[in-house]
This record gives sequence, structure tokens and C-alpha cells, in this order.
Amino acid sequence: MTAPQLAPATIPLEYHTLSNGLRVVLWPDHASPRVTTRLDYGVGYRVEPKNRTGFAHLFEHLMSQGSRNLGKMEHIKLVQSNGGVVNMSTQSDFTTYGDIAPSNMLRTILWAEADRMKGLDISEANLGIQKGVVSNEVRVHVLNRPYGGFPWLDVPQAANVNWYNAHDSYGDLADIDAATPEAAYNFFTTYYAPNNASLAIVGDFDPAEAMAWVNEYFGAIPSRPQPPKADISEPRQEQEKRGSRTDDRVTRPAMAIAYHAPQAETDAYYAMALINQILAAGKDSWLYEAIVRKRGLTGEIEGTMYFYGSMFDNNGPSLYTIDLFHDPDKSTDEILRAIDENVDRLRTQTIDEATLARARVKMRAAFYNDLERDYGFGRANLLAGFALFYDDPARINRIESRFAAITPELIRKTAQEYLRPANRTIFTVVPKTKRVK
Amino acid sequence: MIVSLAAALFAAEAALAQAVEKEAPPPPGLPKNFSLPEIRRFDLPNGMQVRLMQYGNIPKATIRLVAQTGNIDEDADHVWLANVTGEMIQQGTRTRSAEEIATQLALMGGALNVDVGMNQTTIGTDVFSESAASAVSLIADIARNPRFPETELVRIRNDFLRKLSIERGSPQSVTQEKIMQLFYPSQPYGRSFPTPEVLQGYTLDQIRGFYDRNFGAARSRMYVVGRFDEAAIEHAIRRDFAGWKAGVPPAEPAVNPISRPGVYLIDRPGAVQSTMLIGLPVAGVGPSTPDYRPLMVANAVLGGTFMSRITWKLREKNGYSYSPVSYVAVRPRGAYWVEDADVATNVTGASIREIIAEIDRLRTEAPSEADLRGIQNFLAGQFVLFNSSRSDIAGNLASLDTYGVGEDYLRNYVRSIYAVTPADVLRMMQKYIDPAKLAIVVAGDRKAIEEQLRPFGTIAE
Repeated sequence: MTAPQLAPATIPLEYHTLSNGLRVVLWPDHASPRVTTRLDYGVGYRVEPKNRTGFAHLFEHLMSQGSRNLGKMEHIKLVQSNGGVVNMSTQSDFTTYGDIAPSNMLRTILWAEADRMKGLDISEANLGIQKGVVSNEVRVHVLNRPYGGFPWLDVPQAANVNWYNAHDSYGDLADIDAATPEAAYNFFTTYYAPNNASLAIVGDFDPAEAMAWVNEYFGAIPSRPQPPKADISEPRQEQEKRGSRTDDRVTRPAMAIAYHAPQAETDAYYAMALINQILAAGKDSWLYEAIVRKRGLTGEIEGTMYFYGSMFDNNGPSLYTIDLFHDPDKSTDEILRAIDENVDRLRTQTIDEATLARARVKMRAAFYNDLERDYGFGRANLLAGFALFYDDPARINRIESRFAAITPELIRKTAQEYLRPANRTIFTVVPKTKRVK
Repeated sequence: MIVSLAAALFAAEAALAQAVEKEAPPPPGLPKNFSLPEIRRFDLPNGMQVRLMQYGNIPKATIRLVAQTGNIDEDADHVWLANVTGEMIQQGTRTRSAEEIATQLALMGGALNVDVGMNQTTIGTDVFSESAASAVSLIADIARNPRFPETELVRIRNDFLRKLSIERGSPQSVTQEKIMQLFYPSQPYGRSFPTPEVLQGYTLDQIRGFYDRNFGAARSRMYVVGRFDEAAIEHAIRRDFAGWKAGVPPAEPAVNPISRPGVYLIDRPGAVQSTMLIGLPVAGVGPSTPDYRPLMVANAVLGGTFMSRITWKLREKNGYSYSPVSYVAVRPRGAYWVEDADVATNVTGASIREIIAEIDRLRTEAPSEADLRGIQNFLAGQFVLFNSSRSDIAGNLASLDTYGVGEDYLRNYVRSIYAVTPADVLRMMQKYIDPAKLAIVVAGDRKAIEEQLRPFGTIAE
């Protein structure tokens, strides 16, 4: 099967860095009359202060509570009442603010994003209300939900040893409650600086005009010294770990197997993504065949490179995680044995070219999905991320060649090192009472 | 698309009312027009309808066979038989094993997606352009020649038992189940879950019977959206579907919703939030009726977006809830309106009071022109976004067919949104959203919320 030409590669992107350090990526695409902007700040879950868990995320909410020239919620209203949508998200290594709107809105949006980079209006009252909103977000997504934060909150806490990677990033409700306007203000002045940010603009616009607006609105915002980067590294894990919690609202156990993954953007990281395609992604995967179809141990199996977004959204230690739900009459170890039979094949044998070729095709399809994700935020998301992490947004055009360069031998070597039993954590959620129904 | 320059100025003026010295946002430039790509339609002699649309610049195509069947065709004792059938359809054809199907589709960049809904069952995939015709053939084989292997039945039933147990643990699922039971008693729309015993009892004969009664060319439509060789696709469709039996015409479903005012409490001891659905049927409303778009606009003013009134009150004024939202759930002959909110346990009663107060306010006072214009711009913009991906377009085209409206519905959508006046919003609220008729369904900690709920009516289970 021949690879179709990757459409985005045919359009050259523009990349500029303002004198205050703001990185700006421009990607004109006139297919539809709309424009997407994505402003990433290089601060996320991992680096929040130790007594302020959940702060990075709480802060994402505060960014809509008023800025120098816009009042509470007026940014969102300005975008929505002109036909657009906003999308904000806190991840481990960045916090992102996105807008999609009819293309005639670009100038207005750039002004509004610059306005909140210039200054925030954090009042005690607004902070109090957002603490309530965030507490309710944690309740609806975790505390009042069967299986709660499984696996996305449970697994990083069980598998990591470095506090930055291992703490509850959604936040302890008590810590959230203790946040003060001063702490919020300090967080803002430290991290929400142009030299710690990247802006991607994708869609129907004129690059020269867009850059003129970017310079007009962002150009005069002063850069600020950044604190030294925290050490977020994880040591090599030498012994298998187990973790568990009970949930009295469920009747079916859940289990996750999390392996420390290779460092982002290394060849081994790309190999790991292909391993996921072979092992756990889709109904043609080895585990689907073995665990679901042949043995009926579960109805579906999930393999995840990064919990909060695509594999390219991660810029630090991460976990390759396999998770599933099963019946109480099957033990964790029985399922683990069935999984290990397949993992061992990858560690001991060299896969054939046809298997690797199919994994690459699936990976390309997954990459296209990343580009198209969320009404088009996907492409801007990758560009802003690559600019922020590596000062190199053009990486987006090299992703396919990175996957093409992975050999069967590298797949085996990667599996040997990273899919070691000693490198993993088994985490289970067990029903409080083992009812069979 | 029409996005008014004036609207942005209204928004900006509102923003600046309190702080004169602040800088105003630069007004947006002139909007461009949105146009829907052309839809090509043709029918096969056996009654199957086909819709093709070239769209986008990513070299992929979405292919969907949509059969007019689903849970609506189940009787009271056979809930989820449609779902079990939909799963069994994926277990191989007379000439291909399930594993072969999965492998072949993976090589095309796709995966098999079978989605069983109340009124429609979709067999579809999304593949690279050059494989689109091959994928059509595969979909045809799956739809026409399912093998229904006995060997897979026990496993599939067991998977559904597990799924049932997991779904019923969620407070959102049980409130949804309850409100459907209230609105649609003894009707398919009112049945959400089977018992484990019923599920365990499904036989191959029942599954085959459901398939034979409900699948066939005359009640199926094929949608292909994306980049593809149109002649090759047409050829594949004609070749692979021409010999399919027309099948049995769909039965007229029993849909007769009723409003059930009152408070209904589902006890979840220790719950830290109350999961609420507050609503009533708006049965006659649908895309083919004149009230539909005015009601959509009224809903958006009231609770349908981030900047809506209820959302503002619950979330931004009080911090009671994370993502409250209201919507008109459209389904053939059985639409309903509902406000959906998860609120902190201790503010359950206060939240309901806020919701009802906002309903009352919009029933007594029309929104300002400026507020309405902002909402109209939002809905117009959303419409463009929701027609900006292959899967959204395919879904919208299927909706047109489900509700018997032509593509002019899409072409005129933006205009019809802007045609709604403040008086229309008031009229829709008065006609449809009567607080005296609301069913208030709450899943929460009885001990903590019973007293809070009492002011809103007698509490039933």
C-alpha cells in the first residue's frame, strides 16, 4: 500500500520569534473561512508548587475571570458572541488557550489573548467562585464517578517516584481551597510571560497582516526571567510495583499496566508508539485478538501513550499504559499472564516487515486524527507545542519520516528495555463487595 | 455565513459599560460567506439511497451505511437486542473472519465502527482516500452477509453484562434512565437498560431474527464524505449493494410522550454531588417544524452555552457546578427539553431555585436585541464548526434524511437563526417551557438533599 501525500506537508509554515521571546507559528490554510489560534504557556501540572496541588489547573480557570480590559467571562463572550468557541486545557507540561472563530475575528482574538497576557484581575470573590467550580469539576470527573480517576489520575501517582510526576495534579480539594489571590498573582507573573509561551495561528488569514497584529498587541509585553527548570526525571525502575484501591460503587474490577516510556521525541519513543499500534490499538491488535476475541477476558482494551492528549503533547517522563475492565471471577494475574505472552513476543522475537508496515499505516491514520481533532485545534496544538518544547514547529512535517525510520530491530530493543516486568506498575480498582451481578 | 459587525460592537459596549477608560477590543473584520459543498444523490433499484460529498483537504473518506433501525424496533422484553445484534454483525461474514475484517480495515487506515442508536444503526469507517472503494465493498459484505457465529455469543453477552453493570453505576446514566421512563412510559424511548437475565437469555435465533426483520436496502442509506474518486465509489456501491434484498419496511414506532411534573429522587448514599435532569417533553418539535429553530435559540439564551443565563448563575455567579447545560434532545416525534447539571450536594435546592428563576424570567421578559444577537452569532458560528469535519457532515446529512428535510435546511440554517426575534424567544418559552410541568430527577444523597427538594413538590422514587 502506498502512502498518500500528507496534505499539510505541502504548505510551508512561517516561524518568528519576537524580541520579547514569544514564539509565533503561522500556517495559512484557506479551505474554510475560519481561523484557529492556540496560545501555549510552558507551565503545567508537573511544576506547580508543592503545597498548591491543582494550582496550574485552577489557574486555567482564573484566566477567564477578567484581564486588563475585559471583565469576568468577557473573553469567552467576545469569542462566542462572534461565532467562535474557546478551548482551554491544563496538561503536564503546558497550559493552553485556544480560540476558533470566523476568520474575520483574528485581530480581535489576538488583542484579547494579549490583553490577558498583560495582566489579570484576580479578585478574592472571583477566586472563591472558581474554587467552587473547580471543586465541582473534580467531583463530577473523579469523586462522584464510578472508578473515579482510573486510570489517568491513579496510574501516574502509583508508578512515579519524583513528586513532580507523582502528585495528584487535579488537586486536593483542601489545597485548592487554600489558594490565595497573592499566590495566583505570583504564579501569573512568573510563568505567564511571552518568553515562556508560543502562539500558533492556523487557517484563513494573511500572514503579513497577522504578524503586524501580533507585533502590535504582544510586542511590547516585557519578557521575564524564568525560574530554573525543576528536575522532573524518573529513575530507572528496577522492580515491579503494585497499587490498588477499592470502590464501593462498582461491581467489575479494573486493571492498568503502566510502563515507564522512553523520553519524548527519541527514536525509542516513536518505536513505543508503533509498539502500541501492534500490541493494543484497534481490533487487529495482538492483545485484542488474544484477550478479547480468543479468551473473552474483557470486552475492550486500551493502550495509551499519554493520558491528557496526543503523544506529542508530552515533554517529560511518561507512562505507556494498558487498561481494561474485567469480571471478578478472573484474577489480575491470570489476565497479566495472557498479556505477557504477547509482550514477550515483542521482547524476544523480531517482528516481520508486514506487521511493522501495518502499524505505520495505523499510526499515520492516528496522526491525521490528531491533526483534525477538536474541530481543527489539533494542528494548531501540535505547532504551538513543538514551538514551545523544541523551538522547532517544522517537526510536524517530519513525523511520518520519523516513524518510517523505525526498524524491527529497534522495536525489539525498545520492548526489551521498556516492557520489562520490572519497569511496570500494576494498578487495580476492586469492588468493595464482590457481587457477581 | 453572516456574522454581524454590529454584534461585536454590542458585546464590546456591554463589556465597557462599567469601566469607561478601558481599551475596547478591535472590531472584527468583514465576515466571509459559508457555503455547503454540493451533495450528489442517487438511488439504487432496490431502494437504497446514496449521498456523496467531496469535502476537505485531508486525503481520507468517511463511509457510513445508516440503517433505519435500532432500539426503537425492540419490544419491551428485548431491550438491547439491537445492540447485541450490532455487536454480532461485527463477528465476521460468510467469507471473512472478524480478524480479517479488522486487519484489512487497519491497512486502509480505518477501523470498523458499528453504532446502535435509538432510531439508527450505523456501520461505518474512515479510511485513506485510495482505499475508499475497497472499504465500501467491505462495509457491504458486513451489512449483507453476517455469519453470526455461535462461538462468539457467550463472550458477547458477557461483555454486555459487564457494560450494563458499569453503566448503571454512573449517576448520569440512572438519572437519564429515570427521565426517559417518565416521559415515555411503555414505549421504546422509555427503555434504557435490560435486566441481566434478559441479556443472558439472547439466542442466535433472536439475533438473526432481529437482523432479518430490520436490515435491508430499502431502509438504508449510504453516505460518503471526504476526498475520493467519485466514479470508483459509485461503481463499488452499485456493484456491491445492487443485489441486497429490499427488506421489511420500518414499523411505525409508538411514541407518545407525556409530561410528569414532580420530584424524583434516586438515592446514592454519600454522593458529594447531586446529578440532576430537569425537563419536559416538547414532543411536536423537530427540524421540519417552524418552532424548532426559535426554540433552539431560546434554549441557547437560557442554558445552551457557556454564556447562557443558567450557566452564568450556577457556574460563574455561585460556583455551584462545573458544566451545567440545557438542550433540546431531538428524536423523531419525541423531542424533550432538559437542563443537565451536577451540583454540589449542599446547594442542590439552591441550584434548582436558580434554574426555575431563570426559566420564569425568560417567560416574562424578552431578551434584549443585543443579547439575542450574541447568541445568534454563536449558533451561526457553531453551525459552521459542526460542518467542518467529515464525520460531522456525514452525521448532519443523515439527520436531514431522518427528519425528512432537504439540504435547504442546512443552506438556510444561518438565515433562519437570525430571523428569530426577542418576541419569538418569549413565545417559545411560554409555549413550551412551563415550570409547572417540569420533572425534576435527582440522583444524590437522600439524607442530605431530601429537605432541600421538598419545596419543589412531593418526592417520588
